[in-house]
Amino acid sequence: MLLRHWRETLGLASRDYFHEWQISVCFVLALAAVLGPMMVLFGLKFGIVGTMIDELREDPAKREIRPVGSGRYDRAWIDALAKREDVAFVVPRVRAIAATLEVGSARSPRILSLEVIPSAAGDPLLPPGAPAPRGLRQVVLSASAARKLQVSAGDGLEGSLVRRFHGHKERVRLPLTVVGVASARAFGRDALFASVQLNEALEDFRDGRAVPQLGWRGTPPQSRRYTGFRLYARSIYDVAGLEEAFERRGIEVRTQAADIETVRRMDRTLSAIYWAIALIGLVGFSLSLGASLWANVDRKRRELSVLRLVGFRTGDIVWFPLVQSLYTALFGWALAVAIYRAAAWGINLMLAPQLDAAQQVCRLLPQHYLVALGLTAGASVLAAVLAGLRAARVEPSEGLREV
Amino acid sequence: MAGPIYELKEVVKTRAGDGYSFRLRVPSLRISPGEKIALIGESGCGKSTLLDMLAFVLQPSGCERFRFNVEGKEHDIARAWKRRRQNRLAALRRRHLGYVMQTGGLLPYLTVRENMELSRRILGMKDDGTVAALARELGLHRHLEKRPGELSTGERQRVAIGRALAHRPSIVIADEPTASVDPFAAERIMAIFIEMVEARNITVIVASHAWRHIKQLGLRRLAHHTRRSRDGSLAETVVSG
Repeated sequence: MLLRHWRETLGLASRDYFHEWQISVCFVLALAAVLGPMMVLFGLKFGIVGTMIDELREDPAKREIRPVGSGRYDRAWIDALAKREDVAFVVPRVRAIAATLEVGSARSPRILSLEVIPSAAGDPLLPPGAPAPRGLRQVVLSASAARKLQVSAGDGLEGSLVRRFHGHKERVRLPLTVVGVASARAFGRDALFASVQLNEALEDFRDGRAVPQLGWRGTPPQSRRYTGFRLYARSIYDVAGLEEAFERRGIEVRTQAADIETVRRMDRTLSAIYWAIALIGLVGFSLSLGASLWANVDRKRRELSVLRLVGFRTGDIVWFPLVQSLYTALFGWALAVAIYRAAAWGINLMLAPQLDAAQQVCRLLPQHYLVALGLTAGASVLAAVLAGLRAARVEPSEGLREV
Repeated sequence: MAGPIYELKEVVKTRAGDGYSFRLRVPSLRISPGEKIALIGESGCGKSTLLDMLAFVLQPSGCERFRFNVEGKEHDIARAWKRRRQNRLAALRRRHLGYVMQTGGLLPYLTVRENMELSRRILGMKDDGTVAALARELGLHRHLEKRPGELSTGERQRVAIGRALAHRPSIVIADEPTASVDPFAAERIMAIFIEMVEARNITVIVASHAWRHIKQLGLRRLAHHTRRSRDGSLAETVVSG
């Protein structure tokens, strides 16, 4: 019986809502006029800040932590760093002056003097899934170096390096294989990514020490110290913490923490501003809808009392404004979504020339639409409850006679 | 003969407005099942007040006894009001009562058919042709799919009568059902109405300000006297029957 009552009330409230469609359309428009711009605003906030955060996230340079000047670090210390949760990648660096190599290819007449960057599996500068350089023969070239040497993955290269040894100038040649090319976005300069082992070999050669694997003569090897390291935090949110940890140990580092913090602070500020606007908008909408529904009860006093007279219960009558306000919420939301979609399309189209292909200035995720619907329905129900209680208090005898 | 369907004793309703108060008193009233009651009087004499109390939509200010007996069950209306059993009263209205208002009181967003089916639907009664038969009897069969707004006043009153009868109530209460219709149509509508309740053996209570419209229909007329205090600030109507 309860279900039947409820169904009848729902049916009657719906019939009334659609019968008075002019008034219902006004409610829906009033809601969409508040909700639509709010969605556009949020879409802009989310799109702009989201793009900035994505850029931060996607650009490994933002996660890099570099030591300032040169220090003396041993292998165990570096390995301990690598085990930290907040560290995504770390390799030791040899002296910058030793980390260069002259490289030529059969395809190009040019000889390039390349910066040699220590690398390993998981290097954020290398394309994900591509092989990392291993051993003393494999290298990955930066995009610009590969272009100048006119080589690609699988091609051979010839490296050469010179030292003064026992008063003589000595040059050795080093055949290499290109196993990959880093993207131009990841690294802009001419460079060659090589294993830590190859980096050490280059340093040893220049220092006059022997590299038996390559047949280079010299003094016997000593225990090694590194002058620096290449370190990337797990995420941009770990950068500030790592920076603090290094400073505590007296190691001065340079990071992009300030940039990251700026974007995060902007996100927080914009969110706060947005929610303030949204709250005011929703409260305003609830008040206006509430007032209209309240007035509606007066306007429909007679019809409501007829329902009471034919035996609808108090509890059934409460549903009347509630159901109608939920209709307003649903249709208003749908219209607001349409307004948002049109506005977002226009904004993104207008700004498309300044953006990457996948970037959008104005953008919402599916769950944002649902949150908007939920908030709207909540505000509508809140607005309708007072009117509903008032409707339930309509005495059946009140509206029977026209005064 | 079964006992009375309504049994009232010392039922009083007092209404006070600025400098004027009105009291309706019913020392004793018994209405038997199938009776046809007429309540005649000028407007303002308390007819509607009594009807609303009999329809369980207006709480008496005081009463010694107010019983409603239907289908072999006795309902203590006085107690239901005292205990604020609104939903119980709503259930009694829903099941046993039909009410014809002065003007329509139809829902503008429903068709004539749906308006007439309203009570049947909340009672979960299946469509057994009752509404169609009523519509034919009332001369409304061509208007079933129209909305009340498209009908004349007389037609709307006939729809209201149809709605009051459709769920086969025990009692139909009509408050000046023909007051807003021209006299000629009024007489005809009243005649059809009384004929229909008679054929269905429904107890009917009609209020009207014009006795001549209904005197030939064989209704029992309730007597009532209105007294006013000398300064006109108090009026009391006493109904007996």
